Amino acid sequence: MSAPAPSAAPARRVALSDHAVALLLRGGFGAYVTVLVALPLLTLVYRGLADGPAAAWAAITAPAAVAALKLSIGTGLVAALVNGLAGTAIAWVLVRWDLPGRRLLSALVDLPLAIPTLVAGILLLALFGPQTPIGGALAEHDLAVAYARPGIVLALLFVTLPFVVRAVEPVLHELDPAEEEAATTLGAGRWLTFRHVLLPPLLPAVAAGTVQVFARSVAEFGSLAAVSGNIPFQTLTAPVYILGEVEGGSPGSAAAVSLVLLAVALALQPLSHALARAAGSRRG
Amino acid sequence: MSPSVALLALLVACSGDTASPSAPSTAPPATRELTLGAYTTPREAYGTAILPAFAAAWKAKTGQTVTFQESYQGSGSQARAIVEGFEADVAALSLDPDIATIEKAGLITHDWRAGANAGIVSRSVVVIAVRPGNPKGIKDWADLARDDIEVLTPNVRTSGGAMWNVAAIWGAATRGKAGGPTDVASAEALLAGILGNVKVMDKGARESMVTFETGVGDAAITYENEVIVAKQQGKAMDYVVPTSTILIENPVAVIDANVDAHGTRDLAEGFVAFLATPEAQAAYAKHGLRPVDPAAAPTDLPAVTDLFTVRDLGGWASVQETLFAKDGAYDRALAKAQAGK
Repeated sequence: MSAPAPSAAPARRVALSDHAVALLLRGGFGAYVTVLVALPLLTLVYRGLADGPAAAWAAITAPAAVAALKLSIGTGLVAALVNGLAGTAIAWVLVRWDLPGRRLLSALVDLPLAIPTLVAGILLLALFGPQTPIGGALAEHDLAVAYARPGIVLALLFVTLPFVVRAVEPVLHELDPAEEEAATTLGAGRWLTFRHVLLPPLLPAVAAGTVQVFARSVAEFGSLAAVSGNIPFQTLTAPVYILGEVEGGSPGSAAAVSLVLLAVALALQPLSHALARAAGSRRG
Repeated sequence: MSPSVALLALLVACSGDTASPSAPSTAPPATRELTLGAYTTPREAYGTAILPAFAAAWKAKTGQTVTFQESYQGSGSQARAIVEGFEADVAALSLDPDIATIEKAGLITHDWRAGANAGIVSRSVVVIAVRPGNPKGIKDWADLARDDIEVLTPNVRTSGGAMWNVAAIWGAATRGKAGGPTDVASAEALLAGILGNVKVMDKGARESMVTFETGVGDAAITYENEVIVAKQQGKAMDYVVPTSTILIENPVAVIDANVDAHGTRDLAEGFVAFLATPEAQAAYAKHGLRPVDPAAAPTDLPAVTDLFTVRDLGGWASVQETLFAKDGAYDRALAKAQAGK
């Protein structure tokens, strides 16, 4: 009778302290995220609407703002589409092909995250600037890259290259090639195998990576400030436009336009989740 | 380097106090620090000539060693940095409205325009930088609107230099010295023609010149002193002075709130007074600026046929209203340039 009691008491104490630790951790992480992300975002919302909703609407619908937002969202979509496909293909190569120099390729993929994006922009200018052999030849055929929209997309592709690759890679690692072989053995063609065996588990990762590419693209600043020319209505992207509003003494307008970018990024989260769910149900 | 210098200065000051505790605590320290918040183009003039000369003069006068914290960025950015807490003792900016921004924030409480030369320490003119030998034969503003010309000018929302550039074109046109009628629509059309040829709008005047140096564009609208400094550094370019252009006037002001907090008022006011001396004026001139003191003016800078000031355009308040306000002449010209594409 008396023997189990002492052993039960410490057990309960341990359980309680575990609970306390869990609470503390949860509270700590909650506070961390609040201070780090929620507070700045709330400040943004507050400043964006500080001059009233009418002023915010006027700032967002100013022709130059609309043009900048369209450009950022449009080039972001192109970058997301291209790197969604290219990133998946690169991940496939890295995981499934036993290439010599695979490690080097893998290291190269991460490089864009390691260098300041402004440097990325300057590198692209050094390669494709109007005075360089490549840039000059392209410009002669009306295919200017530097200070033009192709340059914007190129910079975005460079900066966002790792996202889809790194999202898809671990999923590919977990996929058992035996499943694909089984499908082939059972008479499924390449397309059917891809469609029913490979695509369902890959799709959520591809979608998540692609959404990341898009979100990063609409927010990209450094490389585009260098490579895009920044001409209103033509090559001025939303983040660089926002900088102009801040520096031109219109912080309210800058915050309002930033809110649009924030809303676009938020709207994409459910889209990404829906894609993941759709892929999951198809798999079942 | 500068923070460590500041720390060193602090240590020296502290050790001086502890070593001689009988010294009156009101005695100024032997080493003092002045923080200068400036725009980008006079960087060489301040860094290599004026600051060392002032330090020597101050040392001779007071026995104190002066160290400097220097910050250089676009005039508008610098004004905003100071408003948001960058504790500069002295602001040396491109244009009056940027000092006024600091004033409106309550950091400047004295009438800085009442100082020597109305608060202006240096001048320049807006010119057109061209490739060596001027291969495209650019002579005046109207040439910049030609179909075969690519132009560089910075973004007016971030660059004081860009505002001077636009004001120069606008003034030349409305004064009837740019080859067209003087009405507002014609001035807007000229501005639209030039803006339609702009290839890159950088953040500041200096960045714009760096882009020009890499070979982009046929012409860059800029401060005369920017071109002279670039040429002094061996960069190959020439410049054209338009028939009619604006006199750029760069103001300097002591920032009352910061000098009072730092106890540097005497030093900051001494520095601003020094900027009007022939020595400092000659240093500005050496770096391509046009001095406010004609005695120190170099004679080899080209004369301008029709030189006007911002006062001739109705003053900054009027220029900001008609040109740079939302949907002002600049925005309309930009939209027109876009429509013409």
